[in-house]
Amino acid sequence: MARLLLLLWSLGPMFWQLYSSLKPSEALSGVGAGGWTLENYRQLLQGDPPFLTYLINSVEVGASSTALTLALAVPCAYALSRLSRRQARALTSLVAAAAAFPAVLLFLALLELARDWHLANQLLALSLPYAGLCLPLVILLLQAAFADIPIVLEEAALIEGMDLWQRLRWILLPLMAPAMASSALLVFLFSWNEYPIALTWLSRTELLTLAPAMARIAGSSVYTIPYGAFAAATVLGSAPLILLMLLFQRQIISGLTQGAIKG
Amino acid sequence: MRWRLWLLMAPAFALLLSIFAAPLLHYLWLSTQVQSVLTGLKPQPIGAQQWLRLWNDGRFWQDSWQTLRFSAASVSLEMVLGLAVALLLNQPLRGRGLLRTFSLLPWALPTTVMALGWRWIFNDPYGPISRMLAGLELPAIPFLSNPALTWMATVGADTWKTMPFVALLLLAGLQTIPTDLYEAAALEEATQWQTLRRITLPLLTPYLLIALLFRLAQAVGVFDLIQVLTGGGPAGSTESLALYAYLNAMRFLDFGYSATLLLGSFAILLILCSTVALMWRWSLRWQGGLR
Amino acid sequence: MIPPRTLRRWALLLIAILGSLSLALLGLATERVEPVLVLMPAPFADATAELVSAFNRSHPRIALSVTRGPLETEAVSDLAISSLLLGESPYDLLLMDVSWTPKYAAAGWLEPLDRWLGPDALDDLAPGAELGNAFSGQLWRFPLVADMGLLYWRTDLMEAPPRTPAELIAISRRLQREGRVPWGYVWQGKQYEGLSCVVLEVLRGFGGHWLVQNEPQLDSPAAEAATGWLQDLVRQGITPEAVANMGEPEALQLFQAGDAAFMRNWPYAWAELNKPDSPLRGKVAFTTMVSEEGQPHAATQGSWGFSLLAGSKHNAAAVEVLRFLTSADAQKQLNLRWGYTPTRLSVFEDPELLATNPILADLQQALAAAVLRPLSPVYAQLSDLLYRKVNTVISGDQPAPSAMRELQSNSERLLRSNGGHA
Repeated sequence: MARLLLLLWSLGPMFWQLYSSLKPSEALSGVGAGGWTLENYRQLLQGDPPFLTYLINSVEVGASSTALTLALAVPCAYALSRLSRRQARALTSLVAAAAAFPAVLLFLALLELARDWHLANQLLALSLPYAGLCLPLVILLLQAAFADIPIVLEEAALIEGMDLWQRLRWILLPLMAPAMASSALLVFLFSWNEYPIALTWLSRTELLTLAPAMARIAGSSVYTIPYGAFAAATVLGSAPLILLMLLFQRQIISGLTQGAIKG
Repeated sequence: MRWRLWLLMAPAFALLLSIFAAPLLHYLWLSTQVQSVLTGLKPQPIGAQQWLRLWNDGRFWQDSWQTLRFSAASVSLEMVLGLAVALLLNQPLRGRGLLRTFSLLPWALPTTVMALGWRWIFNDPYGPISRMLAGLELPAIPFLSNPALTWMATVGADTWKTMPFVALLLLAGLQTIPTDLYEAAALEEATQWQTLRRITLPLLTPYLLIALLFRLAQAVGVFDLIQVLTGGGPAGSTESLALYAYLNAMRFLDFGYSATLLLGSFAILLILCSTVALMWRWSLRWQGGLR
Repeated sequence: MIPPRTLRRWALLLIAILGSLSLALLGLATERVEPVLVLMPAPFADATAELVSAFNRSHPRIALSVTRGPLETEAVSDLAISSLLLGESPYDLLLMDVSWTPKYAAAGWLEPLDRWLGPDALDDLAPGAELGNAFSGQLWRFPLVADMGLLYWRTDLMEAPPRTPAELIAISRRLQREGRVPWGYVWQGKQYEGLSCVVLEVLRGFGGHWLVQNEPQLDSPAAEAATGWLQDLVRQGITPEAVANMGEPEALQLFQAGDAAFMRNWPYAWAELNKPDSPLRGKVAFTTMVSEEGQPHAATQGSWGFSLLAGSKHNAAAVEVLRFLTSADAQKQLNLRWGYTPTRLSVFEDPELLATNPILADLQQALAAAVLRPLSPVYAQLSDLLYRKVNTVISGDQPAPSAMRELQSNSERLLRSNGGHA
């Protein structure tokens, strides 16, 4: 019973969107007949720019942010896990504070940053603030994972004469793979969903990522509310995420929970 | 050896400083300037005027109250529901993995996407809730047009989206509690409520605190949901601090004041989080003294 | 040592080479196609698509392209502003709402058009359409289409439209009592710019003003009566409570479903209501807003027009585009094909249009009743104060007089302190 309620609560609104997206807009406003239609999807996919563009932009930003975040976070987390306890603790609490910080408060300064450094309207540049915003959480997560690796392993490698890079590459990183995978997924989710910074950094419509594009969506039947198109966009915009969640739920969940246990 | 560790951390911390620390310092400077449409968007020093204006701005205080009201309501709802869901998911049930995934889905979806969805769900008179009520011959509920109701609608939408996150954190906590404690409790014939009260909650404390602080900070910065779902209306009753700061910058072109508002929100956030943390510590000490 | 004569010859040769090179470059430059990019809200981008391709055919040296902006007015403004704030705005021309222009001009983003269009640029505009384009001694915008608030009414429910606020209430109540419509009158009551347009019309209809000589007049008895009337509409159930969250599309949705007798909206709704599958096809007419005896039937002017961005590197080409898209021929086509209201007098008087478009004369009449929202660089703040407060009144219990007094003092403070600064 409780399970059913939980499912209804989580999935109900999504099913309503799915239903709305398959209905003609006249049926939605109560005039005209019912019936099913793919018209809303056709409109979206043939729009200008086509909806697919936003999805591709979001994937691009997500991928580059994930790569950048990991490239910065792995060495940092390693170093943190090898620092003296007191130093590490001071730094970690700073990082934890940053992890909770609401990103929206930064939008104005980041806007000026984009203007002064000519970073606006470049999808790859967007991964700079995204990596910055994700770093705290990912550092905490990876640091916890590094701390789990027995120090003797690394000492043995040191005796073998491996340098820092070799130890990282051959001993530590393979052991870190699960934690890195779940961090990567979390960063990707974040960049997929981020709104205020994308809203202020991107002003060319063909460069918009999904979140601001959704908020600015234009229906095709110009002056009636494009609820059907909205709903179709919600479905298309969340389908990749739902897929991602279904495929990688274990990693995402363990990533989140690891961060919680150690953070 | 030591310096190499610092070198490894340098790039990450450089980025962190430029994304978090530099903006706050920049706001501090900008809040002493007037940079608006009336100065041709050029900054001119104005001293503490912006802070005086903030202090006398009824709308800032109204938005602060509304932001806090929103945060308090949605965070407490999320904690209670999140705990319930975590307890449910912690039971050995058939199809638990799938249930877990499905219940986490709302958290993974973009806020703007679902905010649009909620706008349609709450639509009066054509949304599903209104139609259901009309079918039952009940009067429609003006979810998005009545100031007393709309903020609750935003709380509902926010809870829907972020409760799974809390549930997941707490679930992780539940799984660290050794089962023999529960077995012992069962031997002593403790009721379910007693078990929850005496074993689960105390051991879950650190997780509850983490979830609470994290969610509180995020809720105080609520922006996406409000902007898309209500735009701050009706009667400004759902406007959050972040939305007000955004309006000042992007609509009114008043950057000095926007920076002041952002710092003001930051101050409120700091006060709120440290109060919660202090109260928590205090209550723990008090409980400890009692024992 | 090189003899000076040889040196001079070499120098001459060098000059000749450089000269022809730069001439050639110049030639290349003039041959090059100049790109012009225009940002328009989605509906206008769709409507002008044919004109744009016609322009590109007849002007091989200019490559005109249009960015299709969002649907909602404020979202377009946000997009334009963020592109301007970020610097290096890609746009040369902006299709702007009349209420943005002073803000953009004060921010230094616009280039005056006088130099390009000459002093008599506005002479051909129909009365009402010339408003809001020129101020502080310069021309900042040239209107593409006119827009004004209209009162739509159902011809199948009544003989003649109401002309006074009391008549509107009386007719609505009668129709509601007879069970012919669930609601009387729908309008834009959401907390946004559209509400300011509604309020301005009612305000003028009750004999009030928003600003006179830069002094707010919002606590006048007329202003209190106007807001009180809007509140009464909701309280008496003539307007649904949901109006406090209604924009243009929501109001149209309800009216088009046959659920209301009157609607306040812009001219676009005419075409939408008379579409082949519309339930109200042939059952609607429009007039201007109701007003008290002796007061004007006001229509808020909401035209869209082109402004030249100061950062444009192709301003001559951009002005060429502006001229083409706002020409009489273009306006005629926009009206014939899409139903947009022209701004030029010569288009309003075009015999062919008058023959095919029966409502053109009515639109011209409504346009002549146009009233302008205040022209101020801080208009966005002024309007924000107004629509928040009036939205409070129609969605809550605050009595209109006290609300208007607060609004008055807040507006005074805003204007006196130049946007909030002492």
